[in-house]
Amino acid sequence: MNRRELFANVTGVGAHSEAARACSGADIVPNVPLRTHENVEVRFYDDLVKGRQVLINMMYASCESYCPAITARLVEIHKALAERMGKDLFMYSISLKPAEDGPAALKEFAKMHGALLPGWTFLTGDPYDIETLRFALFRHNHIKLDLDTQAHTGKLRIINDAINRWVHVAPFASKATVLQHISWADPPKTLEQRLEDNRRLQEQIGKEVEQFGYRKVI
Amino acid sequence: MSLIEADSNEPQAEPSSHEGIDRRTVLKATALIGATAVITTKKTTVLAQSAPPPTAPVLCGTTPPVSPPTRPFIDDLPVPPVAMPVNLNPAPTQAANIAGGEAARAPHQRWSQFLPLLRYRMVAAPSLHRHHTDLLPSYMWTFNGKYPAPTPLNCYGVPSLVRFSNRLPETAQNTTFGINEITVHLHNGHTASESDGFAQDFFGPGLFKDNHYANAYAGIDAFGGIGDPREAMHTFWFHDHRAAFTANNNYLGLNGMYIVYDSKDPSHELATPGSLRLPGYYGITDIPLILTDKRFCAAANGRNEVFQVVGAGAPGGDKWVVNGKIQPKFRVRRRKYRFRILNTGPAKAWTLTLIRPDGTQAPMTIVAVDANFLQSPVVLADRPLDVQVAMRFDVIIDFSAFPAGSSVYLKEATAQNVGVVTADPAPGLPIGNVLMRFDVVNRESWFPPDTPALPTVLTQMPDPIVPDASFQWEFTLVNGQFLINGLPFDHNRVDHVVLKGSSEEWTLANDVAAGNWNHPVHIHFEEGRIVSRRVRISQNPDVFQDVALRPEELGRRDVYPLPPQNRVVLRMRFRDFVGRYLIHCHNMNHEDDFMMARWDIVNTMAELTQRRREIDERRMLAGLAPQYQQGGLV
Repeated sequence: MNRRELFANVTGVGAHSEAARACSGADIVPNVPLRTHENVEVRFYDDLVKGRQVLINMMYASCESYCPAITARLVEIHKALAERMGKDLFMYSISLKPAEDGPAALKEFAKMHGALLPGWTFLTGDPYDIETLRFALFRHNHIKLDLDTQAHTGKLRIINDAINRWVHVAPFASKATVLQHISWADPPKTLEQRLEDNRRLQEQIGKEVEQFGYRKVI
Repeated sequence: MSLIEADSNEPQAEPSSHEGIDRRTVLKATALIGATAVITTKKTTVLAQSAPPPTAPVLCGTTPPVSPPTRPFIDDLPVPPVAMPVNLNPAPTQAANIAGGEAARAPHQRWSQFLPLLRYRMVAAPSLHRHHTDLLPSYMWTFNGKYPAPTPLNCYGVPSLVRFSNRLPETAQNTTFGINEITVHLHNGHTASESDGFAQDFFGPGLFKDNHYANAYAGIDAFGGIGDPREAMHTFWFHDHRAAFTANNNYLGLNGMYIVYDSKDPSHELATPGSLRLPGYYGITDIPLILTDKRFCAAANGRNEVFQVVGAGAPGGDKWVVNGKIQPKFRVRRRKYRFRILNTGPAKAWTLTLIRPDGTQAPMTIVAVDANFLQSPVVLADRPLDVQVAMRFDVIIDFSAFPAGSSVYLKEATAQNVGVVTADPAPGLPIGNVLMRFDVVNRESWFPPDTPALPTVLTQMPDPIVPDASFQWEFTLVNGQFLINGLPFDHNRVDHVVLKGSSEEWTLANDVAAGNWNHPVHIHFEEGRIVSRRVRISQNPDVFQDVALRPEELGRRDVYPLPPQNRVVLRMRFRDFVGRYLIHCHNMNHEDDFMMARWDIVNTMAELTQRRREIDERRMLAGLAPQYQQGGLV
């Protein structure tokens, strides 16, 4: 070790203990207090995200165009993944207008859209905390967009905290595509599973190539 | 389990990283007047795979750190080593070798016509890379243990195949946002779909994939043989294209350059028939400059890890990196050099000027844009070179204009964080704006003599494209989601279908008033030519005004910068191959945010009509206007 490296290490000591924590979900996902549509107080990271695979979107109860459409799409997704919902997969819809949306208003919205389903929680809270959450989950680094709450209804965030994986998808992509993106955050597969998936994919490609001369569907 | 790729052909030797150009290197390289000049130095290192992989990084949280100080001009500019052809075991096959562990794909098109003679292996795996002498090593994901990856040197008429093996860690827990699945795109190869690195064709650790590169010019069907030589491209790069993770995986280091020579642009400077005689010895007078920005954590555990939060909300780097080093110096002889400047992103654009010791701008001459020669060289004497993500500029700098012992500087318009108080190296040039330094020395007797004056005509453009149809791609942002033609990327959905052998006029439109974003739009498969660029000067009613094209915009290209309120009209052909291709914003953050669309090339008119009808039916079901008229013909 030369003098410079020694020096670098010495100066790094303070930062070392700080850095010894891995860059985990707790560092990324704010642990803000929120209230559910059942009027239960929760901590966002500790109670809802920690160790889980979750789908998160932002909405508000009085929104008349995007939010109902996206909620309808999320109901479809919930139906397709019903076996996992509430067990190892959870859905959170967070209000962009927490001052308007009390727990009762959110429950009403959920009921109206057939979204009172297992594993799906609607959330509201202090506007400052919601803003913190929105910046952590959906930030663009663009001052105009980031301050415009209307610009945050078009994306679905997928987090698997157990493996530290973040994915997102536009909920208006096809149902198959949304499901596929959710699967990108599934627990890692073993090599055997991957090879088996690969074999099955090749069978499908083979059929497509036979029929169309190239890969058509995916 | 009977796995997979045998390692029998290892170890694979790569030349050691560049340690300055010495006499032996030059003599060896210039003595080889062949298809590819291969530089080897005495020291060869065994590929890193035999060593245990580095331990996973411990990251420094999510608050962007200020990178540690680095003294300027300490490290020599490294040149990525030349990739060595290898024997592959199991041997490559036309259909995917599923039993051998190859990722699923359609069979290679035109396989027997372009049987790959040169075979390379690129292993994606974790390795340590040191970005500066003052920094400790950083954990990266690289090809063959090198950042940037070794450069395959190829020749038109000699097809090649690159086996991309995924040896990334099984769980990518600590990389936070990188993903251990890859699909590699050769930007902008005239490549069949199954070898084109389609964003959805990614594969996980333990598998490999053979990408088949014909190294032929576009126009194989029309011109026969290896195609239309006027379609020649030379400076390619390959990079991971994994949907939603392209920025992250490239930031971690999964990219490199790929060069293809021909008789006009050979790997040497000798007076051979048809040669332009540009500076042409790779690593000696022909130097890649691969640009990226990075941010580093404070030293811990013997490492300065790269700060790994990238993506839409990320802060970007505060250190400018050239060929893997921060503020390097490079010794140049008083003669002409060619630099192949490449911006690997993920998001930063570079605005470069060459600065004399007295602080004034010195000229650089552009000979090629996005790998395509311009009709005539373009001298940049009083304006900067604007290098957006994924663009390549081949520039010639004549260092005989500067006295021996002087230094000239490559300046970037935005300053980096140096962290060491340093006097301005030239009047009006703060140290933070210096990307790298060139130290000018007299040419030694053993160093190749200067090349002749640049030719005034570099290439002949292919025949003008007469479009069979036109199509518009609109790049927008709605409710926080990037869209093309109103839809986010969906690999299962085709947004446009074209006929093999046809040509079209495409309009790229960036109408978003709110975002005010520039999109460097990249179109896979063939090079296009810009017909016009218009800018909207009034919104209601819409009034557009033609913008004069810069001389470097007049050539062929594959990245089309699209500033806000601009419309770029371009024409391109779709020849020789069929399958799925992409158009996307190459700001990798936007690309990962699904500002990307799939378009397909099909074989027959019947298929074209049928597929276009399907698209319109689907659009109408979704409440969108149909795209085509006359049953899909227009």
